[in-house]
Amino acid sequence: MELTYADGTEAVKGIDLAVPEGEFFGFLGPNGAGKTTTIKTFATLLAPTGGSITVNGYDVRSEARRVRETIGYMAQETSVDQELTARENIRFAAQAYGVPKSERADRIEELLDLVDLADVADKRAGEFSGGMKKRLDAATALVHSPPLVFLDEPTTGLDPKARNRLWEYFERINERGTTLFLTTQYLEEADQLCDRISVILDGEIVATGSPMELKRRVGGEILDVEVAGSEPGDTHDPRERAADIARTGDVFGADADVAVTDDGVTVTSERARQHGTDLLVALRDAGITVTGFNIRAPTLDDVFLAITGEELDSEDRSADPGDVTGPEVTAE
Amino acid sequence: MSDDADTRDSAARSDDGARTDGGPRPADDSAHTDGGLASEASQTSSELRSDGGTARPTGDRLSGNSFLGDFWVNFVRWNLKAVRNPFVVVGSLVQPIIFLVLFTQVFGQIATGAISGGAAGDITYETFLLPAIAMQVSLAAAAGSGIGLVNDMEEGLFEKTLVMPMSRSAMFLGKTAAEILRIVVQIAIILGLGTLLGANVATGFVGAVGIVLIGICFSLWFVALSNIIAVVTRDQESTIIGANLLQFPLLFVSTAFLPLSAMPDWIQTVATVNPITYGVDAARALMLDQDVMTVIEVTRFGGIWDTLVPALVILVALDVLFGGIAVYLLNRASSSDVQ
Repeated sequence: MELTYADGTEAVKGIDLAVPEGEFFGFLGPNGAGKTTTIKTFATLLAPTGGSITVNGYDVRSEARRVRETIGYMAQETSVDQELTARENIRFAAQAYGVPKSERADRIEELLDLVDLADVADKRAGEFSGGMKKRLDAATALVHSPPLVFLDEPTTGLDPKARNRLWEYFERINERGTTLFLTTQYLEEADQLCDRISVILDGEIVATGSPMELKRRVGGEILDVEVAGSEPGDTHDPRERAADIARTGDVFGADADVAVTDDGVTVTSERARQHGTDLLVALRDAGITVTGFNIRAPTLDDVFLAITGEELDSEDRSADPGDVTGPEVTAE
Repeated sequence: MSDDADTRDSAARSDDGARTDGGPRPADDSAHTDGGLASEASQTSSELRSDGGTARPTGDRLSGNSFLGDFWVNFVRWNLKAVRNPFVVVGSLVQPIIFLVLFTQVFGQIATGAISGGAAGDITYETFLLPAIAMQVSLAAAAGSGIGLVNDMEEGLFEKTLVMPMSRSAMFLGKTAAEILRIVVQIAIILGLGTLLGANVATGFVGAVGIVLIGICFSLWFVALSNIIAVVTRDQESTIIGANLLQFPLLFVSTAFLPLSAMPDWIQTVATVNPITYGVDAARALMLDQDVMTVIEVTRFGGIWDTLVPALVILVALDVLFGGIAVYLLNRASSSDVQ
């Protein structure tokens, strides 16, 4: 599929992907990468300008209504009717999706239970917290038991507790057989939920694999060590010395990736967690003062760095597709 | 997401269940897309079940809703929203009531002199003003139409309903019908209140129903216009300001508050091309049972029809014109074509 906006912005340059039934599929990428454009195209909100897309066996252009009948879609921005109660919101969706009258009442109760909103079913959605609104939004997307649900950055802006609750809910419906297609900027989210991930960058898929496979490309976990007395240009720069020690192979083995940073070294290794303390001891023995350290899982930044060789610049990528082309246009 | 130890466990979990189909694809591979979603989905659609266990084979549901069903769902939703929003209900009623009470009290003495010299003859200002206030209520209610639409757009509900398998026409018709219902109720309230204040509908109950019908015909072009502003600006404040900016000056440079003869020449000229004049004159003709139209002289139909026929022709023409533009813009806004 390809999608180019009227102003010439190539939001999706050409992607090719297949999602099998029952999979929890993740579309991972920074803002402006083309995730939302892609998911909107799958959900019939945008018509592709090139290629073809079939959802649940129906063509998104010529059989849009059939596609709509067989999918659920949860937009990036929470969209619930604030003036209606939770129950009324779900009822509206049930009627709009043509859920038969005989099943409607049971279905509404079942969904209210599923998203833990049964207690506040008759309160107006305008009074709900962000997390509750999101859960209600999700319930309205599931009211017709669609075999496939699109989730566009469903947890952006939620606190960790609300996010975890939503995650649980998604996992539950996936376990019941619903195929889920999720977009996210957070590797952690994709990691937690998805069976398989495609990484999208500037409108193209740059990698596809399981979360473990993608993280393996980063080469394990990351150990950041901060050392004292780092003076730029110093030939006895403790950072360089620390890097040499980390590279010797005694500590992490030959596969470790060591890089000098502004205030120390960063070691990427499968064994960063197990042997991190060995490096700290070795540094102390060499007379280098360690002022801080941190062992962490690879972030989206690290995966991007490993896959594309370029660092993810959140500011550059936070703009919408229209804005992204701005600098390029001026450059010409 | 730094030092998050439990991501490792979950990674291991998801990795076990992963169905990978190869690593990265070269970029040029993506040039020829064939919609891979098709193959998997089509083979499963007959037995596919999803959460809740109520999913049926997709073929069963494809009849979807009827046009009337879609219409009704939206009609109910917009009525609920109107009733829930005190600003809408009270705001669009209170202001005309204030106008009705204050205008008749403050200007009643002077205005009665002005109207008795005009086409209206010997009538009270309450009776003269009531049809104008009835038109004002319908204008205020009509202005809310675009505001509702732009609210839906800002809150993502417009997009959400576009993903639902509903007829687009039924969606907009259901919303408009809810607004028309509101206009009917509000005009009825104003007419009842005016009668209590001493106004008199000379053509009786049938005339009052006629005033309501004229109110609908009169407000449709403004419903369309406020939706046009909404679709073009996609901004709530602009839509509110746009609707009010049009509504108030237009009311004053029409025959709403005073007969044409009592106003300066330039206002008389503006009033001739002002749609409000035609709505107010038609309603007033029914109120007074007189041919009150002075902006254009028609004599061939006789009696109040000399006002009603030209006024309705002009109002329907405006409805068709603005309605056409609104339908075009709404179609474009709800189309999936890339813009």
